[in-house]
Amino acid sequence: MKVAVAGKGGSGKTTISATLSRLLAQRGHKVTAIDGDPNPNLGVALGMSTERLGDLTRVPKEIMEVKEEGERRTLVLTRPVEEIEAEYGTEGPDGVRLMVMTGVDHAGAG
Amino acid sequence: MRGLLGELATGTNGETVTVTDMEASIEHMSRATVRHVDAMLMVTEPYFRSLETVGRMAPLARELGIEHVWAVANKVRSSRDEEIIRSYCAEHSIELGAVVPWDEAIQEADREGRALMDYEPAAPAVVAVQGIADLVEDKAGSNGRGERG
Repeated sequence: MKVAVAGKGGSGKTTISATLSRLLAQRGHKVTAIDGDPNPNLGVALGMSTERLGDLTRVPKEIMEVKEEGERRTLVLTRPVEEIEAEYGTEGPDGVRLMVMTGVDHAGAG
Repeated sequence: MRGLLGELATGTNGETVTVTDMEASIEHMSRATVRHVDAMLMVTEPYFRSLETVGRMAPLARELGIEHVWAVANKVRSSRDEEIIRSYCAEHSIELGAVVPWDEAIQEADREGRALMDYEPAAPAVVAVQGIADLVEDKAGSNGRGERG
């Protein structure tokens, strides 16, 4: 199940994303929380320590490349997802795994 | 972020739940960004510009084929606030998934740099988000955990 949380800046989507992630993890789900905001603070909202967040490497853009098939453009991973999770994911409270994305290149928005 | 989102969910383990805190601006709701998402929560405050953002997102989300699209009312201080959001959603045929009340605990937790969950696990806002977790669990169970390509 993949859930995206969207909304205007300041609407409280980070608090809701973090709380939802923690609650689902407490219910026994394996949860990966992804911070896609260019100014990331999901980690703090999840309750992770600043040391831990300081050690976190953001997922680089290079792990994705654009694949063009006629009119359609999609971004595909250049490495296995397990590897990416192992390298860039950090485990936080209730076992929620966090990954923080590098600021998105707007030119690539399809 | 786009490709990763899809891969994460279909790659390792179908039971993984991914929750992505998206960029605020609407242009990122492009085809590639959310193509593999099963559910979209559109968080809105009870005022016009916030609701308008949701009003623009909802048709896009549907067009992209996202199966479950819900508005989530947030920072709701009064029944009037709730009514504003309810009527906007009704007018625009948007399903309202949850109503999260205004909660001082959120600001207090934030001031201390702590998670709301740790600061006050029984806060009214947390109780409301339990309702969202119910929705997600319910849909995850009913549509087979996201092997939709």
